[in-house]
Amino acid sequence: MTTALSLTSGSRPDGAPVLTVAGEIDMSNAAEFAAALSDAVARAGDAAVVVDLTGVEYLDSAGLAALFAQADRLQVVTGPLLAPLLEVSGLAELTAIHRA
Amino acid sequence: MAVLQGRLRGMRSAMSKREAAGDVFAADNEVGSDLAAVDWQSTPLGEPAGWPQSLQTAVSILLSSRFPMWMAWGPRLTFFCNAAYRRDTLGRKYPWALGRPASEVWAEIWDDIGPRIDTVLSTGEATWDEALLLFLERSGYPEESYHTFSYSPLRDDDGALVGMLCVVSEDTERVIGERRMATLRDLGSDPSVIRTEQEMLTFAGHQLSRNLRDLPFTLTYLFADDGVARLVAATGISAEHPAAGANWPVAALAGGESVVVPLDGPPFIGLPSGDFAEPPTQALAVPLLRQGGTPYGFLVAGLNRYRPLDDGYRGFVELTAGHVSAGVASARSYQAQQRRAEELAELDRAKTAFFSNISHEFRTPLTLIMGPLDELRTRLGDADAWVHEELEVIHRNGLRLGKLVNTLLDFSRIEAGRMQAHFEPVDLAATTAELASVFRSAVERSGLRFEVDCPELPEPVYVDRGLWEKVILNLLSNALKFTFDGAIRVTVRHEPGHAVVTVADTGIGIPEQEMPRLFERFHRIENARSRSNEGSGIGLALVEELVGLHSGTIGANSTEGEGTTFTIRLPFGSGHLPAGALAAPAQTTAVSANADPFLQEALRWLPAEPQTSEEPPPVTVTRTAPATVLVADDNADMRDYLTRLLRSAGHRVTAVSDGKAALDAARAGVPDLIVSDVMMPRLDGLQLVSALRADPRTAGTPVLLLSARAGQEASIEGLDAGADDYLVKPFSAAELLARVRANVELARLRNHHVRWRTALIDSLQEAFFVCDEDGAVIEINTAFTEILGYGPEGLPYAPVHPWWPDPDSDADAHRAVAAAFEQLLGQPYGTYTVPVNHRDGRRLWAAAAFNQVRDPDSGRRVIVGTFRDVTAEHYAVQRDSALAAVGLRLSQAEDLGDALSGVLHEVRKQWQANHVLAAVFNGSATPAVTSTDSVLSWENLSEERRAEITGLRDRPPLAPATGTGITLEHPHGTMALWIDLDDHRPFTTEDQTLLALLAGHISQGLHRIHQIDQQRETALALQRAILGPAHLPAGFAARYEPASRPLRVGGDWYDIIPLDDGRIGIVVGDCVGHGLRSATVMGQLRSACRALLLQDSSPAMTLMALDRFAAQLPGAGCATVFCGVLDPGTGHLVYSSAGHPPAIAGHPDGSTHLLDQGRSRPVAIRPGLPRSEAEYTVPGRATLMLYTDGLVERRRQALTVGIGDASAAVRHGLRTNIEDLATEIMDRLAPDGGYDDDVALLLYRHPGPLELDFPAEAGRLSSVRRTLRGWLDRCDLNPTMVQNVLVAAGEACANAIEHGHREHPGGRIHLRAAATAADLRLTVADSGRWKTPDAAANPYRGRGLKLMQAFMNAVTVTPGRTGTVVDMQARITP
Repeated sequence: MTTALSLTSGSRPDGAPVLTVAGEIDMSNAAEFAAALSDAVARAGDAAVVVDLTGVEYLDSAGLAALFAQADRLQVVTGPLLAPLLEVSGLAELTAIHRA
Repeated sequence: MAVLQGRLRGMRSAMSKREAAGDVFAADNEVGSDLAAVDWQSTPLGEPAGWPQSLQTAVSILLSSRFPMWMAWGPRLTFFCNAAYRRDTLGRKYPWALGRPASEVWAEIWDDIGPRIDTVLSTGEATWDEALLLFLERSGYPEESYHTFSYSPLRDDDGALVGMLCVVSEDTERVIGERRMATLRDLGSDPSVIRTEQEMLTFAGHQLSRNLRDLPFTLTYLFADDGVARLVAATGISAEHPAAGANWPVAALAGGESVVVPLDGPPFIGLPSGDFAEPPTQALAVPLLRQGGTPYGFLVAGLNRYRPLDDGYRGFVELTAGHVSAGVASARSYQAQQRRAEELAELDRAKTAFFSNISHEFRTPLTLIMGPLDELRTRLGDADAWVHEELEVIHRNGLRLGKLVNTLLDFSRIEAGRMQAHFEPVDLAATTAELASVFRSAVERSGLRFEVDCPELPEPVYVDRGLWEKVILNLLSNALKFTFDGAIRVTVRHEPGHAVVTVADTGIGIPEQEMPRLFERFHRIENARSRSNEGSGIGLALVEELVGLHSGTIGANSTEGEGTTFTIRLPFGSGHLPAGALAAPAQTTAVSANADPFLQEALRWLPAEPQTSEEPPPVTVTRTAPATVLVADDNADMRDYLTRLLRSAGHRVTAVSDGKAALDAARAGVPDLIVSDVMMPRLDGLQLVSALRADPRTAGTPVLLLSARAGQEASIEGLDAGADDYLVKPFSAAELLARVRANVELARLRNHHVRWRTALIDSLQEAFFVCDEDGAVIEINTAFTEILGYGPEGLPYAPVHPWWPDPDSDADAHRAVAAAFEQLLGQPYGTYTVPVNHRDGRRLWAAAAFNQVRDPDSGRRVIVGTFRDVTAEHYAVQRDSALAAVGLRLSQAEDLGDALSGVLHEVRKQWQANHVLAAVFNGSATPAVTSTDSVLSWENLSEERRAEITGLRDRPPLAPATGTGITLEHPHGTMALWIDLDDHRPFTTEDQTLLALLAGHISQGLHRIHQIDQQRETALALQRAILGPAHLPAGFAARYEPASRPLRVGGDWYDIIPLDDGRIGIVVGDCVGHGLRSATVMGQLRSACRALLLQDSSPAMTLMALDRFAAQLPGAGCATVFCGVLDPGTGHLVYSSAGHPPAIAGHPDGSTHLLDQGRSRPVAIRPGLPRSEAEYTVPGRATLMLYTDGLVERRRQALTVGIGDASAAVRHGLRTNIEDLATEIMDRLAPDGGYDDDVALLLYRHPGPLELDFPAEAGRLSSVRRTLRGWLDRCDLNPTMVQNVLVAAGEACANAIEHGHREHPGGRIHLRAAATAADLRLTVADSGRWKTPDAAANPYRGRGLKLMQAFMNAVTVTPGRTGTVVDMQARITP
């Protein structure tokens, strides 16, 4: 049984590419998440990909690793649940974190 | 000389070439050069160069020889000599003599030697002279000298006799030394024959006159008493010669100096010349030295003028004088001895004459006494017993006196050679046996065996019957006197030429050093134990004389303590006897009247006939009150006489036969007066007085001494010793009675208050004693003797007193007495109680009180004390306190083991034992050992001790103890109780009684405790068995504690019942009462409650059903029960309480809540009445506590106080994990000394810990997270913390999967989560190996640990061989 995860690619009204993630990210599905991130970054060209983690209930270090891998190409939107984690992990120093 | 001649000839040709060189004198430098200096041209020999070869050779040999030699050569016999001759003989004539004619050189002896030389030269034969006396003028005077020499011929080259060679050795020293030695030897020869001074001087003179060369004349002078020297001997000179009266230097000689006196002029003209031609020119005067005094005199020795006065000569003269003075000394000493011996002999003669005369003088009056006495005895014999008795006394003593006189007379006759013996042929065996039989009655009455063994002899023996009787009777009398047990034996035997008679006894024997003087007159062995002190010491001496008259011999053999044997040998026949003394054989063999005195005397030594001392006192009026008088005299007649006399005066008389008996009698019962003889065996009168005076009890008893020794000195001696009066025998009856009366009255006056005091003290029930300053007990009363067994006869009792306990075997008791004694001496007054030993060894306890007082007579400090025997009280107290102590131990004991070890300590304390040991033979291989010494076990006991203890096992229980062990019944088997005391510490009968008593109590006590133990253990087992489930669901903790003292089971219980719907039934109940019965009721209620809850999960319904059940169960009424049903997922609790104390909930914020709703009556009070329920939701991390009243109920304290304390305990333990909290609460609420009642406690913390176990697979993580999230929600945590904990837990799990199991799939992960009010603890354990994050290899994985550390307060990773444990803790903030 893999952990439930939905990954939805789209664009913001300003045209910025957006990857909306919902569910939980752990070592069982981090690869899937990483692939989606890469894909989104590749498609976004020079624009930063907005990763919306508001719907993520759990994110562990495997998921963080995927984010760190593309850190300078991302902007992250998160809810209060993940905010401390992103802060603690040091991702905030590399990537713009936005509170939803 | 022939040999030398040969040598000369043989060497001649060999030496000729060397001599040709011209130096004929080269063989000796010194003499050679002197020879060379001789003017040879003026001699007939001419220059040496022209000497014939033979002369040269002879001279050369002469010079090279070390033997003294001279030679003469040529017509005038020209003189040569060598160095040795020059030294020994030639003296001052060298070198003058060299080259001179020999007749000129030896002119003074030419008369002697000239003819010898002529003989040699004319015959060619050598001469030999030994020790020839020659007067040589070599030292400036003609000197007496002796030479051994030989002259041998010398021939020239043609063989003609032309000279002689003399080889000489001088013997002067030897000859003169031997001569002097001979004189000294002769002087010392056989001086023993010399008796008088004159004889000695004559002898010495004779010896001296034989050596007129060294001593041409001598004059010996002795100093007379007036100091004037008198000539007593002269040798080599006439005593009339004027020189004898010369004015010798007497003063110097008297002072011990030797002086050389020149003999010039008158009176020394015409002195004799001794063996020489000329008289001496000087004399040596030497003192005749006396050891330790002025010299006896002096010896003048004329000196040999031909010898020097050297040390040897001087020594000789002095030794000669020494011999003379030794002779004088010996002669004078002999004369002195001789004179003394003659004086003594004269004295002896005078004494014998005196005895002889006086004895004769005695005989006349004796005859005039005995004759009329016999008349009186015949006439008055049966008239009056009293008169008869008096006459018998006179008769006996008359005989005794007559015997003594006769013996003395016999002696004087023998001494004077006037003993008229008449020897007749006698059958000696029969006669001797007859004589012996006279003594049979006396010997047998004394308790001795009497053996007479006299077989007939082959021929008669010539004896004088009268004298022989005296011999045998004396010996028998002597044997009886000194023999106290055993036998006296008389034998007659035949030996070749002799008859042998022996008298042997088994008496005291004679000390070896006394043996030589045994037969000496008047010699008595001092201090010998005897039947009587009477005796003159003349008997054995007379026997020896008498046997000697028979030409026989007597000897004695004796061993001290074993006996004495006298052996007499008499020759057979009559050849040895003077013919005139022989007589025809008498017809009778009857024993003469001689025997009677011996027998009468002997009989009086034997114990008195009983009636004499028990005779009732004659009634006589006296002016003084009757007194008790102790009479001591070894003479039975005197004793009886005194007894009769004193009884006639109304006194009570006790008579004893010696001083020792008198002392014992006086100490046993103090008499009013003691009348004592002075001379007595064992202890004489003076010693008796001293002993009496030394003893405080008898110090005041008057003593009247009687003695045969007259004179003031004897009297003073007696009074000095402390006697009160002194009476000399003979004395008159009236005088004695008057003295007795005076002394008794005086003593009574003097001793009145003493008697009163003694009577008073003796009437005391308590023991009374007086100690002197040193602590010696000097006075005691009757009670003292009764209590301690030590009587007044042993006074004074010096410390350490004999009743003190032994310091070695009984050190404690000894110390106690020593301390008390110190107190006694040091304190002015006081009391003490001490252990002492009765004379028979018994242990006593004495309570004493004492005071120091001052003795008004002596002014000295004494201590007066009393004591009583408190032994019985002491042991009663000891017994009671020991029993009480053991009883207390038994009552306080928690169990059997505790009880046993407690009583062992008490027993040890009781006897101050090293240790006390109990061995219980419970059927196992080795007994169970309990000891006050915890290191002791059966194994390390000595083999010997084990055997002793095992031996006890087989003794009947509680049998009277024999040692320090006893056997008793222990609940587990026979028990041996062993007390190990210090060595030698006595274990008395009282101790044994006490031990048996204690053992009985211990045995009973142990059995009682054992019964209680058994009940309690059964109940506990039962209670624990039915108390509650062994395994509690998560989040629960429970405790049950029985009441601690006395250990009692109770009726409390708790129960947790998992229900079908996942909920949990919780029950805590309390049955009324304690003990086994209550526990069984509890078990039934508990089971019923459990069954009811499983059927219907409503607490109220359950309790109502229980009401009905309990109503039918005796003892179940009034039980209280809290019954609840908990949903562990939500914390929701439905509950109902049947009169039970409220449950307490402790919230994480520190508040507490009492679950006091849904309450109603206890169980079975009103069965059928409905019960209510209440609900309560346990908040996350809250603690719920259910309990029974034992936890909170205290005497004299409201229940609410106890509940408040319990609430506080819960509040305090909110952060403690639930299992630790249960322990903590039980401890915290326990009263001092433990719970009085049993307690059941049940805790629940919501939610219970989460335990997850899952495969290490990534796919499992999601569901694990979900479960954990649900648990965290129940913990009532804020969402952020929940998320943080989830991430930390997720990372730990991910790591476990990633690093622990990536290479070893199939492992499992265990996750545990638990919360308290304030913190949360998470543990993730895997079965793999933790990998330390390698940042270089995977920079992102390192973040997992970082995240854990970020979200949790503490993270510990513990890798181990079986897996890795990650332990994380987080504080919960509200």
